[in-house]
Amino acid sequence: MKTLLVIKKQEYEWLIDLLPGVHPLLVPICNKPFIEFLVDFAILAGSDALRIVSDGVLGSVEHYCENGSRWGVEISYGSMRPADDIYTVIEKNRRFCLEERVIIISGFLFIRYNKKSEYASLFTSLPSGELLSCPHGSISLTGTSTTKTETPGTLPFSLAALDSIGKYYELSMEILRTGLTHYVIPGYSSEEDCYIGRNVIIQKSAEIIKPVIIGNNVQIMTNSIIDSNSVIGNNVIIDRESFISGSIVIGNTYIGEHLEVKNKIAAGNLLIDPESGTSIVMEDPHLLTAMTQSRVAGALLRRVVHALGATFLILLLLLPWLLLRPILGLQGKWKRKREQYFTRLPGKNVTLTNTTIECTGVLSALAKALSLDRFTLLFKVLSGKLALIGNQPLPVNPAIPLLPNTHAVYRPAVFSYAEAEEWPEIGIDTEIVEHYYAVHSDPLKDIAMTQKALFYRTH
Amino acid sequence: MNISEKTINNYTIISLKGILNASSAPKLKTYIAGMPDEQSLVIDLENVEFLDSSGLGALVGIARKKRTSRAVMKLARMNERVKKVFEITQAYTLFDIYDDVSAAAEV
Amino acid sequence: MNPIITLTLQANLRYVRIASIMACNVAEIFADFTCNSTDIAEFCHAYELSVSEAFTNSVRYAKPSQPEKQVTIRFSSDNSSLAVSIIDTNSQFNPVTQAPDISNYPEGGYGLFLIHRLMDTVSYTREDGTNILTMTKQATITHDT
Repeated sequence: MKTLLVIKKQEYEWLIDLLPGVHPLLVPICNKPFIEFLVDFAILAGSDALRIVSDGVLGSVEHYCENGSRWGVEISYGSMRPADDIYTVIEKNRRFCLEERVIIISGFLFIRYNKKSEYASLFTSLPSGELLSCPHGSISLTGTSTTKTETPGTLPFSLAALDSIGKYYELSMEILRTGLTHYVIPGYSSEEDCYIGRNVIIQKSAEIIKPVIIGNNVQIMTNSIIDSNSVIGNNVIIDRESFISGSIVIGNTYIGEHLEVKNKIAAGNLLIDPESGTSIVMEDPHLLTAMTQSRVAGALLRRVVHALGATFLILLLLLPWLLLRPILGLQGKWKRKREQYFTRLPGKNVTLTNTTIECTGVLSALAKALSLDRFTLLFKVLSGKLALIGNQPLPVNPAIPLLPNTHAVYRPAVFSYAEAEEWPEIGIDTEIVEHYYAVHSDPLKDIAMTQKALFYRTH
Repeated sequence: MNISEKTINNYTIISLKGILNASSAPKLKTYIAGMPDEQSLVIDLENVEFLDSSGLGALVGIARKKRTSRAVMKLARMNERVKKVFEITQAYTLFDIYDDVSAAAEV
Repeated sequence: MNPIITLTLQANLRYVRIASIMACNVAEIFADFTCNSTDIAEFCHAYELSVSEAFTNSVRYAKPSQPEKQVTIRFSSDNSSLAVSIIDTNSQFNPVTQAPDISNYPEGGYGLFLIHRLMDTVSYTREDGTNILTMTKQATITHDT
């Protein structure tokens, strides 16, 4: 038995942009490179040779798999043209396919299988032809079977096409929750839903909740929580008091202090939301640490810059506000709500008027575009109660009287950094963006970010 | 470098043996130039011990010529050392590469 | 870096194979002491190919005004890496290179690109009217695990 693997560049290209630096065929699924699942499957099916054919660059795959001696299977590589169909590929590899039965796996597919099932005898007895197919690929068999048997109604394997980051995430979670015993997963395991790699340091106060997979050379610092359904890759550091849940942390990633990563994929300097596919780029691996800032000079300069910026905006928006505010007020589209918000100082709150403009009609659209709903808040900048740009003010929750300590840098402001970055969601994503800019901002950048916020709010 | 020739179907099979570099590439070019432009080719590389970019350039040049005269040129039985050069330069994207000469000479 | 061997050849394409075979052999002798046996073939091929490319370039760009031109190939090594320099008296060139646009079926321009991809470091200096292109590669190839 032999296995021919045909994967076109076009099918895996989408993954290159999302996880740069690692060949899509080597992207880890539950800490095991994708290609290894296929190698395992080929071996289970009784293959003694495997050929990987693609029209894309296979250099790093070749470097990783070499000639397959590690697995006791002979691995070779072939090239094809993007337009080649499966028959042309078989012709191009005729010598390889000659005289034996060949399993042909075509497409960027994950094959769900169970290592305890018997595949070798199944594949020798199955009739030739297509065995399974899905919109992005198929698995078929050539050559004649030695024993005549009918195709069983259900085959003990199924296909899952990898065509989006969402699918990748789903598949990882599926394996983690239900399939860990079906595959060979790297790491030490004394329980079936917990795999720990070599050289892993877990601080006493850290908490780990199953099911979980942790790679090699991982450090989990004090008071961190690795919640269930998490995959931590190799060479990862989870810094103090961070919380990881339902997330995949790809190898060589640093997760800073006091962070909450929930249902995300963290890879190097990228944080990807698997549902929407959006990702934010973080400048360097240390950016999410809570750095102590030089308070005195910086703070004063910032305050001056913010006050000047606010004055400028007040002068600019005064006339439109005087004109539009009474009209919209009369139309009943100008709604106000006074609420208590946290300030930077613990125990001191500020009362802010939260304005919403009902978005119907030309005038209210104009008012929104000019950010007139934030106009009155600008005066709070002059009095120093708010910053011009910073974090979204957090409303005071009577149940939790103190500011949550996840906000190591909290600067309530008229406009938020998240608005400037047009980050689509609320919650932890917004917090990360804000946290990042709060740590890495300077007065000049603040002006630029304010401009961005003003611009994006108009859309 | 030795060049030998045979015919399968409508294809001329050119088998190369030895070294394909700057000193031997002109020989291959002259040999191919002696054939009609519209003759389809399979170049069998199994016995090419060494190929460098001058050899690759010669093959790419032949492929371009065959392409303009609407003939076919295929490569067959590339060994690991030769493949390496095709891989680094991504020249494999320009050729149909077969692991068997007779398969290449069909269709 | 300790010098190992220096070879001077007439600048003629006829001798390119001598240069590259020698590079392959020197690399093999060197690698025998340092490499895992599985990596030797790849290590030697990199030298064989790189020297073939560099020597070819030196001959191609030789000035026709100097028919008695020569190209020197000099090997030196330290504990873990082998350096080979190709020295000629041609005019100065730009050693920076980019990937050839393969879709245009280019017949040349792969040489320096290949060298950069095969070797760990490639340096170019111009001294007293000579070009010195030095290429080195680490012998112990480590694999990420």
